[in-house]
Amino acid sequence: MPDSVIPAPEIQYANLAQQGETAELGIWAFLINETVFFGALIFTYYFYRLSYPDEFAAAAKDAVLWAGSVNLVILVTSSLTMVLAINAAAQGARKEMIRWLVVTVALGVAFAIVKGVEYYLDFQDQVVPAVNFVAKPGQGSVGELFWVFYWVATGLHAIHLITGIGLVLYMLLWPIRRGEITPAYYTPLEVVGIYWSFVDVVWLFLYPCIYLVGRS
Amino acid sequence: MSIEVDPKRARPLPFVVAWIVMLVLWGVSLWTAFLGLGLWAPIIQFGIAAIQVTTVFILFMRLKGPASLKSLFAVSGFFWLLFLYGLSMIDYSNRKGWPPVAPVSSSQQVHPPGS
Repeated sequence: MPDSVIPAPEIQYANLAQQGETAELGIWAFLINETVFFGALIFTYYFYRLSYPDEFAAAAKDAVLWAGSVNLVILVTSSLTMVLAINAAAQGARKEMIRWLVVTVALGVAFAIVKGVEYYLDFQDQVVPAVNFVAKPGQGSVGELFWVFYWVATGLHAIHLITGIGLVLYMLLWPIRRGEITPAYYTPLEVVGIYWSFVDVVWLFLYPCIYLVGRS
Repeated sequence: MSIEVDPKRARPLPFVVAWIVMLVLWGVSLWTAFLGLGLWAPIIQFGIAAIQVTTVFILFMRLKGPASLKSLFAVSGFFWLLFLYGLSMIDYSNRKGWPPVAPVSSSQQVHPPGS
């Protein structure tokens, strides 16, 4: 294990606290963009669901409920493990921090695997617009709109999740391995944690949009 | 050198409790999907999602604490969404012929695979 180093602030900052605050503002500014990005996507969903409620309910019945539910539990749990890793970083518990980050990456990979299985089942169920799609009774051609939303929304979410896995792996393989994450300055890990939890937030909204419609 | 531990990071218990609460809320949300609540189902489900998201924002994304510039940034994101949804819905709800009639009846056209 490398010796911990007390990092010096970058030249433009008076101290590490100011540097950390700026980094946090940076991730929040980025997340405002992300909020509007996913917000516009979810608005199109609301709009079409209000326009064609019966057809959307019929189409959504084919969504794989168990996969969406398992993935929600996985993501919520990964938000917890990420925050426990940051906790450990703040307390200088290096081994604990690494352990929680590895668990977080494992949960992220588990999400991606479940999503992959779900996509396979979707393909078997012929709900892939423009590639392999068969409209089921009650859906009409509008059912295809639901599935376009499904693939775009879950695909974009998966890209964000894979980015998050990459960021956590980077933290493990670079700053943490070099002993740059210390109780004096662990903002880089905190910024990655905020991003990771945002990916969780997006799934918490996509879940009722996709998986809970038309079940009764 | 003494290590100064951030007091907000010292105790894992609030995060574990929040995690349990979020999973219980997920269970309630899932349960309501099968109760035949009609219009109330999405209202309850999205209401639960809003509570879960607020919990994540406040605790896991560390907005809890004294008001700061990052809180202002987070709130501004919410207001941008409000503008987006509000102005868009005002537009669509004032259009003639909205909501539209579904273009194909439930008797269905069926596309062959690969078409």
